[in-house]
Amino acid sequence: MILNVNGSRHEVKAEARMLLDILREDLNLVGTKEGCGVGMCGACTVLVDGKPFSSCHLLAEQVTGKEITTIEGLSRDGNLHPVQQAFLDKGAFQCAYCTPGFVLTTIALLNENPSPSDNEIREYLSGNLCRCGSYQNILQAVKAASEMI
Amino acid sequence: MNQIKFLEPTTFSEASTLLAERGDDAKVIAGGVSVTLMLQQKLISPSILVSLGEIVNGDFIRLESDGLHIGALAKLHDLERSQIVREFCPALAHTFSVVGNVRVRNQATLGGNLSAADYAADPPSMLMALDARVQVQGAEKKREIPLDEFFLGFYTTALESTEILTEVIIPKPARAAYFKYTSISAEGRPCVAVGVAADFDSDLCKDLRIAVGAAVETPQRIESAEAMARGQTLTDELVAAIANEYSLTLDPLTDVRGSAWYRREMIRVFVQRALEEVRNDR
Repeated sequence: MILNVNGSRHEVKAEARMLLDILREDLNLVGTKEGCGVGMCGACTVLVDGKPFSSCHLLAEQVTGKEITTIEGLSRDGNLHPVQQAFLDKGAFQCAYCTPGFVLTTIALLNENPSPSDNEIREYLSGNLCRCGSYQNILQAVKAASEMI
Repeated sequence: MNQIKFLEPTTFSEASTLLAERGDDAKVIAGGVSVTLMLQQKLISPSILVSLGEIVNGDFIRLESDGLHIGALAKLHDLERSQIVREFCPALAHTFSVVGNVRVRNQATLGGNLSAADYAADPPSMLMALDARVQVQGAEKKREIPLDEFFLGFYTTALESTEILTEVIIPKPARAAYFKYTSISAEGRPCVAVGVAADFDSDLCKDLRIAVGAAVETPQRIESAEAMARGQTLTDELVAAIANEYSLTLDPLTDVRGSAWYRREMIRVFVQRALEEVRNDR
């Protein structure tokens, strides 16, 4: 089975495994984290054709032929993606375990809605949990990113 | 979880035939929100997954003379943003927008949400209040089931083993409201879900349907309580009396989102708020 991840084609064995496990174990893309394992926390967020999905409960067979983007696929020529840069500039993390999921969800939000209000940001990101509680800085980072993009 | 065959038919009729041929070994998977969770928790162990992902034109959203028709494979996130759904019934678009989180709504299909018959869900209560009905495709024939007769129990529907939900049909409501009460901030599942649809002749209530879900095994209407409103002005006293009737008559369940006692109290509060909203919405 072929998966398109971050612009490259990968031959993988699927056998009804979750996308998260294939990304981490077979492709060594360990920026995608497992948190709750049931789609509630957002640590395993990846983009599928630009939309956010929980890779922990998505079968690889469901995403063949689609473009999968993980946190490793964002930087270009050594430069961070503007959303990554905004998170760095605003110190929008402590332990950073949730950060890949927040960054990818923010990219999807700004694709759908380039100038979201504070409430729209809170609403869209409400399915991503940060157990360090960096929410205020994350909100600042998303606002900064929306101005940069 | 090994050695599951993943089949991808391109029509509902082909999918239903596969179910008929493969029997209990086969499970339908649409968006996969429920099926993957059940696979992970080893609640199901099918040898074949019949995926609906390659079915053509299964996700339409269109207005017809008898109401809104939604293809079973429409994604909840597309429905919440659809101009057609928003103009047809803002409360319905709102209902889709409060399901789980944005990742769940990108993955979940309307047909899958209803067929899973998870009690802690949002769309069933609103759609039952709206008097929606579903089209289903069996191996040999199609049929229509009113949502009032669709949910039979926990994770159990009126669908026969070879039947697949293909379409949801929703008559146009005069006014509607959806109220969701969430008791756990880390998740999006409701503790109590209340859908209301109503029609008024100036101040007099002509018709009222209230469905309460998430607090009970399947969404429930209490027709005698709904009838209290017919031909009446929805005064504060009448609203409180109807809410009280729902609170006392339903037999709520106890789970991590709240005890039966707590849910009984919350049913009273949220039926009242939903009724106030349809009354005041002009």
